[in-house]
Amino acid sequence: MPKAHTLATRRHKLGTALLTESVKYFAGWILAVIVLAVAVPLIVSQWRSIDISAWYVAANIGKYLVAIIAGGYVYTLLPILVAQGMTRREIATSMGIFALLWSAFIGALAIAGFLGEHALYGALDWRQAPQQGEEFDLVIGSFAHALEFAAIYPLAYLLYCTAGMLIGAAIYRSDGGWLVLLPVVPITLAVDDALSRADAWGPAWLVRFVSGVVEGWGVWSAVAAAVVVIAIGAWATRHLILNSPIRAKQA
Amino acid sequence: MSFSVSLRDVTLKYGDTEALSDVTLTLEAGKIHGLLGRNGAGKTTLLSLLAAFRKPTAGEVLVDGRPVWENVDVVSRVALIREGGDFDDTDTVESTIETGELRPSFDLDYALKLAERFEVPLDKKVNQLSRGKRSMLAAICGLAARAELTMFDEVHLGMDAPTRDAFYKELLAEYMDRPHTVILSTHLIDEVANYLEEVVIVDKGRVLRHDDVEAFQSMGATFTGPADAVDALAAGLEVLAEQRLGGTKSVTVASRLDAARRERAAAAGVEIGPVGLQDLFIHLTNPDRTGA
Repeated sequence: MPKAHTLATRRHKLGTALLTESVKYFAGWILAVIVLAVAVPLIVSQWRSIDISAWYVAANIGKYLVAIIAGGYVYTLLPILVAQGMTRREIATSMGIFALLWSAFIGALAIAGFLGEHALYGALDWRQAPQQGEEFDLVIGSFAHALEFAAIYPLAYLLYCTAGMLIGAAIYRSDGGWLVLLPVVPITLAVDDALSRADAWGPAWLVRFVSGVVEGWGVWSAVAAAVVVIAIGAWATRHLILNSPIRAKQA
Repeated sequence: MSFSVSLRDVTLKYGDTEALSDVTLTLEAGKIHGLLGRNGAGKTTLLSLLAAFRKPTAGEVLVDGRPVWENVDVVSRVALIREGGDFDDTDTVESTIETGELRPSFDLDYALKLAERFEVPLDKKVNQLSRGKRSMLAAICGLAARAELTMFDEVHLGMDAPTRDAFYKELLAEYMDRPHTVILSTHLIDEVANYLEEVVIVDKGRVLRHDDVEAFQSMGATFTGPADAVDALAAGLEVLAEQRLGGTKSVTVASRLDAARRERAAAAGVEIGPVGLQDLFIHLTNPDRTGA
């Protein structure tokens, strides 16, 4: 972490340092996902034709991981940073900066992945289909379509990042904080479903509660809903951080 | 510049339990203060308020005359080092030390020198350290913070005796080199007694006594000499502790001595020494004692 020369800028430096350290820490994981997203279809293609987007699966699993990482950061770093003489306001700002940068980074990676996969599938004459549903197959037919399909990912990651931070802050704030999962999880899944052009993605037992809730929403309605939910989530997270006592150490 | 500390009518509740009750306390800047108390007396709670780890339920906490809560100019120069430190256990020691650079005053070179001197391996993860090494890492981070108010809360736990001794000496050297306010919370009272200038005794969430060390030591005396003479001298006084080796006996009493008794001691060949802080602490916090 770089030396904070002034108190006025250290919250910004910490926010950006969290991004660079996270990228370094998860570089191996990210590389592994890229390799798997290419290698698995190549291996499967030896037996059958490829007509599903592997990157779609990776990008969506990434949403959950983004939420877990964000929640873990808030839960773990809050006491450490207060002990390092930071105020809770500074910490909340740092986390906000990190959430924006991390979501943008992972989102850009997701978009690049969809475009790269489109090139690969095109070259091998495979079908890049994020969804093979009962009602319709969603097939990405061009680079422009891939870009359009993937464009919502940075916002979706920010949505999950905010949800994760809210859950992490609530659980740190009090033992009963996990109850925040009850509103946060369905709202996040529903808004994500509204953003995506595909059906709700995730474990069937979970997404069945939100499937259809936002049916028929237009893109901009979904984006507006996501922005509102992210803003409310960020406000609630900040409020929790600002009012969290540092827990006593366990003997 | 050193920070003074002031608590005014401070109460802190955990649910229905009052951990601190209506505490008013002022600590002078530029001194080494000892914070003593039995388990659960409220020492850690008091320190957590001074470091803005917690907000009081009622009352005012001032450091350097300013409210400490969410005050970046103050908290950035206040360090509370808790037992075992506040670290990410999956981080390396080196990375943990570097996190200290969030403080404008953190001295990285000094921290690395201390890590080398106390043989805390930089490349190991924090969760791979022994308890003693982990405690030393916490102490290093506290010393290198170069804060204006540094508080060590039982940070010595797990350190062996030579390491504790070296830590106290380093703490004193750092204090002499750069006067600042230090608060040591510990149960190893006799070990730190020589370093303290003022002592605060907390009991059941209240400040039982706050005075300089000399005032505490004059609250009693230790008689050492022939057993019979010592017993005669201590008769009628409140005895805190006794030790006997052959014909020689040592008795600690919790009473101020008048001139007559001092003369009798001299005539009987009994030496009078100051009362041990630990003996006095045990006496003052004895639940059976009344009129503290």
